[in-house]
Order: sequence, then structure tokens, then C-alpha cells
Amino acid sequence: MSRQVRHLLGTVAVIAALLILPRVIQERYFLHVVVMAGIYSIMTMSWNLLAGYSGQLNLGHAAFFGIGAYTSALVAMKLGVSPWFGLLGGGVIAGFFGFLLGFPSLRLSGPYLAITTIGFAEILRLVAVNWVDLTRGSLGLSGIPLLTPIRVGGLKLEFYFERDYYYVVLAAVLFTYFCMRRFTDSEFGVSLQALRDDEQGAQSIGIHTSQYKLAVFTLSAFFAGIAGGLFAHFARLVSPDTMSLHVTFDTLTMTMIGGLGTTAGPILGAVLLSLLSEWLRTLEDFFKMDIRLVLYGILLILTIRFMHGGLVGVFQGLKERFSGYGRTRNGGADHG
Amino acid sequence: MAEILKIENLTKYFGGLCAVDDVSFSLAENVITGLIGPNGAGKTTLINMISGAIPPSHGRILFNGADVSGRKAYAVNNRGIARTFQVVRIFSKLTALENVLAGLVDRRQKGPWSLAFASLVRGVAKGSYNPENRRAAERLLDLVGIGGYRDELAGNLPYALTKRLEIARALATRPKVLLLDEPSSGLNPAELVDQIALIREIRKQGITILIIEHVMKVIMDISERLIVIHYGKKIADGKPEAVYTDPNVVEAYLGGESHAAR
Repeated sequence: MSRQVRHLLGTVAVIAALLILPRVIQERYFLHVVVMAGIYSIMTMSWNLLAGYSGQLNLGHAAFFGIGAYTSALVAMKLGVSPWFGLLGGGVIAGFFGFLLGFPSLRLSGPYLAITTIGFAEILRLVAVNWVDLTRGSLGLSGIPLLTPIRVGGLKLEFYFERDYYYVVLAAVLFTYFCMRRFTDSEFGVSLQALRDDEQGAQSIGIHTSQYKLAVFTLSAFFAGIAGGLFAHFARLVSPDTMSLHVTFDTLTMTMIGGLGTTAGPILGAVLLSLLSEWLRTLEDFFKMDIRLVLYGILLILTIRFMHGGLVGVFQGLKERFSGYGRTRNGGADHG
Repeated sequence: MAEILKIENLTKYFGGLCAVDDVSFSLAENVITGLIGPNGAGKTTLINMISGAIPPSHGRILFNGADVSGRKAYAVNNRGIARTFQVVRIFSKLTALENVLAGLVDRRQKGPWSLAFASLVRGVAKGSYNPENRRAAERLLDLVGIGGYRDELAGNLPYALTKRLEIARALATRPKVLLLDEPSSGLNPAELVDQIALIREIRKQGITILIIEHVMKVIMDISERLIVIHYGKKIADGKPEAVYTDPNVVEAYLGGESHAAR
């Protein structure tokens, strides 16, 4: 079997398994966790495009999530727009804010950019808290409509249960993954990585780094906005907490542990940590504290100290060890 | 011979320090010009200004008659001036091949949005990169003699090879003028021979070269013209043999009587 055929079969098998999962495990609570893991996967993938591939340390990613969530919820509640268009609208508005947040990145980098982006998210969170007429402040928006049914030929698809949302989110995750694969594995992606590795070097070969930064901030924010919109119509409750720093840090931790700057890492991290944190919830009574955050912190430190490539890097390292020589791309980059 | 690059009264101040002081010269098309001078003479500053990395304080840079002074580095490169760096600036987490591929993208035509869009709609059967570009990148790596390392991460390459990778990457942007900032530093004698052959080969392809070099063997071997700067000023300009024996140059390098007396 050629490599391509094997690759195709593998992809088909994974997608088939994902499609039948809700038929095999029907427990609603479990599916709820999986849907949230999917929404977080879109967050981690979009953050990874910025931080992992373009080297722009954005610590305000939660703002895009919140903008997507609020936009999608508000246009559905106040204007009666179909949530499906609301989702897209949330992505577009988030993308616009991403474009705006791109401007500081033209002058700032590293910790300075990080602080600016934290400030950006915090300002938007405070707007959401204080603009009570529109957002109901800290109470948040509740009673956000469900996704409206779709008719495909004679078939009517309705969205009531976790199972139904599972398929919507799965489609969104696969779409995001497809886009990220294409973005990163192309001339566009090479240009982003060039600017990440050496900005002056990138300019010396004709890369208009400012334009690339604005573009990547916009694209990344668009996907985060979509994730926020999905969350709004799934959880049906959006509060200013969606823009708080801990959402960004969950995203960051998941991405780092999965593998920053790899394509599979963000999904792997989001799914594993989502499942892990639900399991840890059962231990909360025993420890009498939120053990989740403690463990996240420890895992993050261990990742940064011992495995720069995250879990994906570890797997690749093992694969190379057993196959003798492998491509060194995205390997457990211990030289970083 | 046609002048491809003309430098007029180029001056750069860093605060009160005059790093480059009223330097003028022009490069004849398809000639290798050497640029030498003691440490701190302002050679790299000069190249930084020509390539757009820093703006000049005064003076003009004319490329094919068009004023490019003060333009940003990417714009200068898009017009046809490429450079390498004294301390390499390769993309360490990309493979050697990808480093060159990044240079091959036609950036005069395609910005980030069109590249991003193109990546989404390209045919599934097509590989990651335009196969034509891929072959061109492989040829460039072969040309600089590191074809065997194409899939190695650039950050894992030994220093001498990263210098060559930088040359391949600069060539990938299809320049008319190539500015080389100490391409031979840190090379052993055998590597120097290869380096000289490589630079000659690049010239054969019709590229005009301005080269900063401390290794005299290289510079005397390949330069058809030599410019010497000292304390930011041009002190000699001409045939290498004539410049080499010029009393001003000897004084700059070995120190004049006033220095010797100290």
C-alpha cells in the first residue's frame, strides 16, 4: 500500500469513528464534555496559527471567543437573525477586531505584545460587564435560541440534544482543521513561519511582514469567533467570563501540552485536557479545592521544561527512534 | 558598462556618531565589487542602508535609475536587491528546502490574502508546494552544495552550511544585485575554495555582486574592483592590485606613524 492510500484510509477510519461515537456512547453528560472539547479545539487551533506558526504571543484570544459568542447571541435574540448566519457574523466581527489587534503587533513583540493583548481582552470584558442595556452585565445573556432546524431535501435536521450539537461542532472542527492544514502547509504558512523565526530575515526576502501579521490576526480571530458562536448556541448562556483570562490560558495550556506549532497538537491537547479536567472534577470533593488548575500549571511547566514539541513532539521523537531516521520537521524541538 | 546601482552621498548618523560619511560609488552591471575596511568602518551599515534594513540620514540610492532610498527591506527586495547577513538570519525551524521556498514565492504578485486563499482552493492532488518551485529550490540547494540537507531543519545545520543556505535563499528571490555580508567568515581553507567558485558561478548567472569580506584570499581572488572605507569614509576605489598597495589603505589597516608612536 502506498503512503497516500494508507493516509487516506486512516483519515476515513478516524472520521468514521468520530461519526459513530454518539451512537456508541449515548450518555449526554459525556457528549456535553466532548462538544466542549470540540469548541476548545477550534480555539486552540486558531491560537496556534498565531502563536505557534507566526510567533505572535496573543494573550487576548478569549476576547475573540467572547465577541463571537455575544455577536451571535445578540443578533439572534434582538434582531431575530438565524443563528447560522449569526455564527458566521460572529466570526466576521471577531475577525475585524483581530485585524485591529494586529496593529499593535506591528510595533510590539514578545512580552510587550502579550501585555497589550491581555489589556485588549480585559477592556472588552469590562465593556461586557458594564454595558448592561445590551449585555445584561455580569448576569450574562440567557435563553439564547438553539440552532434552527435545517431542511435538506425531505430531511429535517433539528438541534436539541448534545448529540445534534456534536455533529455541528465536529463539522466545524474538521473544517477548521482543514483550513489550518492548508494555511500552514503552503507558501502562506512558510511565510508566516519565516516571520516567526526571523523577522528581519523574512523582510530581506521580500516578505511584507506587517501585512502578514494583520492577515494572520484576522484569520485567527475569525475562527475563535466561530468557536464563541457555537458555544453561545450550545450553552445558551454567555457571560463576560467568556472573555476572561482563564479562557485564554486554558487555550494556551492545551495547545502547549498538545504541541505548539504542530497541526495535530492543539486538538490533542484540547481533547485530552477537557476529558482530564472532567475526571478531576470527581476528585474535587477529596482535595477540597480546584485541583484542575494546579495540575494544568504543573503540566505546563513540565511541557516547557522537558518537551518543547508537546505530546506530538514526543510521539514524533519515538517514531524517529524506532524507524532510525525520520523527517526532523516539528520534532520534539529541544533546540528551541 | 551600465550602472545598475548608484550610491550618492550616503550618510548615516547613529546619534552623534557618523557611521557612514558621505559615501558615493556605483556598481557596474555583472561585476563583483569588494567592500573592505577595518572593523567598525561602516561596511555593514552601508549594506543595511542599501537593502532597506535601516533608512539613510542623507543621500540617495538609485537602483536602475529609480530612487529606492528609505524604502522598506521587503520593497527593496521585491525590486531586485537581495542580501545575506553577517550573523545568519535563517529560519531555524523550517527545513533547508522550505527556507529557499520562502524566498521563491513571487511576492510582487501575491500578498498574504491571496496566498491564504490559494492554499484553501488548490487541488487536493497537488503537493504542498508548487512543484516547479520545489524543483527550483532543490536546484538552488544543489548550487550552493547543500542539496543533501534539504529536509534537515535549518537550525540543526552547522554554521558554515547556514551561510550557504542564506545565499541560496537570497538567490531564490531572483535578484539582480546580491549584497553579501562576510559570506566566508568561519570557513576553513577547503570551504573557502568552494565559496570562491560559488560566487563566480553566481556572477556567471548575470548577477551583480557587492561583497564585504575580511578574508583577503577571497576578496583579492574574486573582486574585479575594490572599495575601501575607513571611519565611514571611502578612502580608495579601483582595481584590487592598485588599492592593495595604496598608502592610505595600508595606513588604515596597519596604522600610520601617529598610531605606531603610541
